Amino acid sequence: MSIITVKNLRKSFGSVEVLKDINAEIKEKEVVCVIGPSGSGKSTFLRCLNRLEEISGGHVIVNGHDITDSKININKVRQEVGMVFQSFNLFPHKTVLENITLGPIKVLSTAKDAAEKLAFELLDKVGLREKANSYPGELSGGQKQRVAIARALAMNPKIMLFDEPTSALDPEMVGDVLEVMKQLAKEGMTMVVVTHEMGFAREVGDRVIFMDGGYIVEENKPNELFSNPQHNRTKSFLSKVL
Amino acid sequence: MNIIMAALPILLQGLQVTLYIFVIAIILGFLLGLLMALLRLAPFKVLNLISKVYVDAIRGTPFIVQLFFIYFGVNSLHFISLNSTTAGIITVAINAGAYFAEIIRAGIQSIDKGQTEAARSIGLTGAQTMRYVVLPQAFRRMLPTITNQSIISLKDTSLLSVIGIADLTQQGQIQAAATFEAFKIWLAVGIIYFIVIYLLSILANFVERRFELR
Repeated sequence: MSIITVKNLRKSFGSVEVLKDINAEIKEKEVVCVIGPSGSGKSTFLRCLNRLEEISGGHVIVNGHDITDSKININKVRQEVGMVFQSFNLFPHKTVLENITLGPIKVLSTAKDAAEKLAFELLDKVGLREKANSYPGELSGGQKQRVAIARALAMNPKIMLFDEPTSALDPEMVGDVLEVMKQLAKEGMTMVVVTHEMGFAREVGDRVIFMDGGYIVEENKPNELFSNPQHNRTKSFLSKVL
Repeated sequence: MNIIMAALPILLQGLQVTLYIFVIAIILGFLLGLLMALLRLAPFKVLNLISKVYVDAIRGTPFIVQLFFIYFGVNSLHFISLNSTTAGIITVAINAGAYFAEIIRAGIQSIDKGQTEAARSIGLTGAQTMRYVVLPQAFRRMLPTITNQSIISLKDTSLLSVIGIADLTQQGQIQAAATFEAFKIWLAVGIIYFIVIYLLSILANFVERRFELR
């Protein structure tokens, strides 16, 4: 049963077509890694899945909602889809705890103490309970990203989208963030991860999608795709990054 | 010194009028500015245009002309009768509102797009995103310029004396004429304005520090 279905998705910025006829299915509890050279459209693809980008054509069906339908309440759909950004995008004027509780309190109308209880559980999960009252400016990049993951999880989403979550991190911080993501995958979260971490894709991914020039060039199980790429473009990309 | 001390109670009466008009006008002006900034950023061309015309019209005309237009011009149409204080408050508010609109618009636009995206991605509506995420951050950045505009507006109130409002400047004029001590009286008036504005900037500094980003 697919939790995300993408049919003939197209996306243009002005006259530049960034996504050209993308078709994809993502099953429940699946971890799909999206790789490809920069400019291949992989981030745009991800951002179309919760309509952070307006979709130019085709259909994206998320958890039963066709989000290309203009009548749909996109805020409702976004509650079910967590997103983690390359640049963290924590709210700098709020403490770690407030960052995490904002969504539950304002969107789900959770009581403040229940939201905080949940926030502390999530902070335990990402190993940052002691930072609850810190401001984002006081955290390292890796800590920020783990808070951002906790913030997304606080909405109890069915799907998590990761947009190059480790690309802005110092190398020694990457491990902590990937560890949290691995844990999440183990717990059965449906995840779509745009990443340059081939090791992560190989180890944690159930499937890898390789994109180039606005198309999905090929997709396969990680071991298959990495050891036996079918297309020249995949081969040449992998030869550069592996 | 005696002359100033004798005039002081009356000057302070005038100061009360000045402050009364300033406080009401600056609050109204800020709300108007906020509304116009949001119209300017709204995804509807008509709303953008309303805001743009308002801001351009106010910025492109002198304060005193706006004052005369509202007090003499609008009153001459006889469908409404504004007393001088009301006309004064309206003029200062409308005038400050145009500048606030630009300050607030720039402040909102200075906040990184990622903030909005993060807020929207957890399911906040556009209005909630504005209220809880964008405006609080933008407001901190706007504070110094808001203070600046407030000081300018406070000084603009002195022009209201020309339509007969008994503000600090008007009382100064009366005292100067009555005592023939223009030098001393105007010096005193200047010092009173200075002290009020100085206190205002201390208050603004305090608020700025309170809201500083950590």
